[in-house]
Amino acid sequence: MPSKNKKWMRLDNAALLYSAIQKETYSAVYRFSAVLHETVDPNVLQRAIDLTMPRFPSFRSRMRRGMFWYYLEPMDIPGPMARPDIANPCQPLRLREGDGWLVRVFFYHRRISVEVFHAVSDGAGTLVFFRTLLATYFRLLGHPIPNTHGILDIDQPPQPQELEDAYARYAGPVTLRGRLAPKAYAINGTPEPFYTLHYTMGRMPVDKLLALSRRCGVSMTEYLAAVLIQVLLDRQEREKPRKPRPVSLTIPINLRSHFPSQTLRNFILTTSPSIDPRLGRRSFEEILSQVHHYIRLNLDRTTMQARLTGNVAFQRNLFLQLIPLFLKNPVLGIAYQLTAVRPFTTTYTNPGPFRVPPEMEPLIDHMEVMLGQPYGRQINCASISYGNTLAITFAGTIAETDIERDFFRFLVRAGIPVRVDSNRTS
Amino acid sequence: MSYCVHCGVELHDSARACPLCHTPVVDPSKLGAAPPELPPYPTQRAEVPPASKREAALLLTVMLLSVAICCGLLNLFLGRSVPWSAYVIGGAALLWVWVAIPLWFRALPLAVRLILDGVAVGLYVLVIALLADGMVWFKALALPIVLLATAVLLLLGLTLPGRSILSSLSLIFGSIAVFLVGVELCVDRWLTGAWSPGWSIVVLVIAAALCAPLQVVRRVPSLREEVRKLFHL
Repeated sequence: MPSKNKKWMRLDNAALLYSAIQKETYSAVYRFSAVLHETVDPNVLQRAIDLTMPRFPSFRSRMRRGMFWYYLEPMDIPGPMARPDIANPCQPLRLREGDGWLVRVFFYHRRISVEVFHAVSDGAGTLVFFRTLLATYFRLLGHPIPNTHGILDIDQPPQPQELEDAYARYAGPVTLRGRLAPKAYAINGTPEPFYTLHYTMGRMPVDKLLALSRRCGVSMTEYLAAVLIQVLLDRQEREKPRKPRPVSLTIPINLRSHFPSQTLRNFILTTSPSIDPRLGRRSFEEILSQVHHYIRLNLDRTTMQARLTGNVAFQRNLFLQLIPLFLKNPVLGIAYQLTAVRPFTTTYTNPGPFRVPPEMEPLIDHMEVMLGQPYGRQINCASISYGNTLAITFAGTIAETDIERDFFRFLVRAGIPVRVDSNRTS
Repeated sequence: MSYCVHCGVELHDSARACPLCHTPVVDPSKLGAAPPELPPYPTQRAEVPPASKREAALLLTVMLLSVAICCGLLNLFLGRSVPWSAYVIGGAALLWVWVAIPLWFRALPLAVRLILDGVAVGLYVLVIALLADGMVWFKALALPIVLLATAVLLLLGLTLPGRSILSSLSLIFGSIAVFLVGVELCVDRWLTGAWSPGWSIVVLVIAAALCAPLQVVRRVPSLREEVRKLFHL
């Protein structure tokens, strides 16, 4: 990249929030990993990174503090450096410390991992970057990989539409502001010392899970979300609370399939299916049906557009804009706590199947995804599928393992063979 | 390939226990010394290293120095009868000791920093006393209070690190009460010459009333666990 293109970038709507609420006990950093069939060659990986990064200027930026907002500033230095993997992944970003990279690349044996700060991009954008990085890595190893299936041509210059703020583009005339949702059941557990992120990953065959969810008349995401809700409802019941709370999930939706955009930055909204145990006990089939219909009903283009317009209007609020950054961060932190933490029990994200050209398929064994330390919710869940393998990861900061244990036992009882790996040492 | 007998999930070959329910993996045919395979995930921990703050310290030093020099020069022309710039220069020096030194020497022990901060405050107050012709109140009021505050902060700085939040809160409340009793002692002796304990006793009682339940929660394990879980400490 010639240095004349060094132009700062305004953060998009979601990025503004993620950068403002970043703190030592919350990590808006997520990780995608590809487990290959061969051991990773760190030198080739580093060359692949150096060749790929110039194509993705937004991933090659650092976060700077402005007077009123953070902004992204492109960096012209080589990097990030591929490092041997560590036991405590998705560490919170320390904006004032470290080397300034918002993207980290790790390798461990056969695994390549990419960690990205959520202000840079969402899962869909990062998967484009990761797919291109993997393709470059394999090309350097001598495999002919075509630029299809969403792999970007690294010899082309970056396209302006890849850097667009799609929220601003699709903000319409009508705004929809949701009312504050009631407080949801919060997961409590024995905390672990700073900075411990336990993760437990279950792998299972996609075809069996797909057949199971089709038999129930729902999609795979809906089925897994319903299992998670069921497990959390049971957990709350075991705790015998004086006042039971609804169990509510946050599920990010990729807006690109509803609002055409090629952006490699954030473009997501969330949907939040919820089950209220105060109304009475529901069977798993009833929970499944509730989740299924809730998600389908809320995937309405017009409502989503009004919601994202509301978010953008909040960001363009003159009063909020004029508050200096050091005061704005706590204000946004409280707003986030009230609107996005308190009403939800946990997050479940499923970026969908990871598709690659047929030439690349035999080179990758499976994919993994993981979210960083949650904002006061202690554990979260993410899944990604590749080929016939679905990997579901629970990541959190509590010593207890009952949520993932009950979740995977539920699937085993439903006839799905599950293979479990974890970084827990005991 | 092994399976957990309780969860029914397949486990990694290197797993010695099920990560979900902690049931040990026992293979009767491999009870001898089995070489552990590479674990599925790395075991080496790492953290983001702290960045150097020397540039910030340098910037602050230059800023404070320029303020001090400018005020000193201005004082030569404006209001020459009163050495007003000494207040500004003293304030700048105080700020420098408080902020720039910790930025510059990040490895400085907390106790040394607190002593330096206390000495700086004492010297600044001394400058004010000298300029305002107030050595009497400096000796009777300011010096004992500054010394007491430094001693209390030093004690807190040495005892707080590594303590639980409950103990820390008890220590902080207790120190505030002790400090205020000392302040009232000094003020009473300055005003009337004799110590007649009054408002500081109220603070002392309130602090004791706050510390007692905290200590009960700290001593009773079940209560302590409950609080830890509730606040995710």
